Amino acid sequence: MSDRESVSHTHDYGEDAAAYVLGALDPVEVETFERHLEGCTECRDEVTALTQVATALPMAAPQHRAPKSLRRRVLAAVQEEAKPITSEQPQTRAVQGRPSRFWRGALLAGACAVIALAVLVGLDLSTGSHTRVIQAHVSGISGSASLHLTGLRGQLIVHHLSPPPPGHIYEMWLKRPRRAPAPTNVLFSVTSSGEGEIGLPTRLRGVTQILVTPEPDGGSRVPTHAPVIVAPLT
Amino acid sequence: MELVRHGDARAFEVVFDRHADAAFSLAYRICGSAARAEDVVQEAFLSLWRTGVRYERARGSVRSWILSAVHNRAIDALRRELATTSRDVVDERLAEQLRSPQETDTEAERRDDARRVRSALEELPSDQRRVIELAYFGGFTHSQIAEMLGLPAGTVKGRMRLGLTKLRLLLGGVEGVLG
Repeated sequence: MSDRESVSHTHDYGEDAAAYVLGALDPVEVETFERHLEGCTECRDEVTALTQVATALPMAAPQHRAPKSLRRRVLAAVQEEAKPITSEQPQTRAVQGRPSRFWRGALLAGACAVIALAVLVGLDLSTGSHTRVIQAHVSGISGSASLHLTGLRGQLIVHHLSPPPPGHIYEMWLKRPRRAPAPTNVLFSVTSSGEGEIGLPTRLRGVTQILVTPEPDGGSRVPTHAPVIVAPLT
Repeated sequence: MELVRHGDARAFEVVFDRHADAAFSLAYRICGSAARAEDVVQEAFLSLWRTGVRYERARGSVRSWILSAVHNRAIDALRRELATTSRDVVDERLAEQLRSPQETDTEAERRDDARRVRSALEELPSDQRRVIELAYFGGFTHSQIAEMLGLPAGTVKGRMRLGLTKLRLLLGGVEGVLG
């Protein structure tokens, strides 16, 4: 691209950076601007600088104390979900008992290898029940994915998967017939080599597909991108 | 945060206690309802706990991640509600959200940060401050704001840019405001 083209290209989007960091562009404009950002250093620098300012904006809200009832509710849920990892077999149960917390990082690579071996031979470590493996369809990114279902538990296991775009995270959705994809609390990224083990939600009644889309950090309530992983459950 | 990622409930409690007030304040500012704000904050923190989302220091602080998650969820909730509400009514309600009878003392550092950011925002020309607040706290797109204020879309985006640029200068670099 010549300097002249570059200036013209930048000029077309010169006012969009601020609206972008404030979340004030509509979804189509966001996609267009993000494509532009890939080739425009000037706009990328402006977005970086303005994002730093935007991260301060929450502090402009009048400050309140969070209700004690909220604290009790959140910490009770966390304590309940943490129980399995405080049992006598912390490492094994941490993986099996808390499937929704997928990201273990490099320190758990050994544990993951043990689990992966168990999956290969079709057995669950804690119950001895059979594991059903379903290949998922990956589109638009590189890598592979499969569902591993054991009894009422399930995991999405990915290999060599592309990381989500900067500022984004992968979000899991549950698709039921004739209904829009339902959001879950499952947000994830992958290791630097594209590996990941992601626990499925426990309530899968009526779900026919597990979908994964890239979403802005923090997740979305409705999908903003096409699925990159589609895994049939039936 | 490393301990939270590995399922330490007590470490999570520390993170919650450190950031819950700021998270609730932001959610309440956007939602205008304590009940909805509580739902939003609960969702955001449980998402942090359940997904063990990667914390990358280079990409910002824990507080930034939590507040970003709260902001996204609160705006989503607000927009769902707006689908059945007229813009004028919403704009009036936004003004009502500026103060709340529930405001209480909080820890001194956070109060100082908040005062500093609010003061900088108030120094902006009102037309620039207004479009920033409508976008960030009101969840409106630039085209909705343009229609609401009877301005060309380019003018709205220009004011956003001028406002944020000036805010950046006023804050003199915001490192430390969000620790």
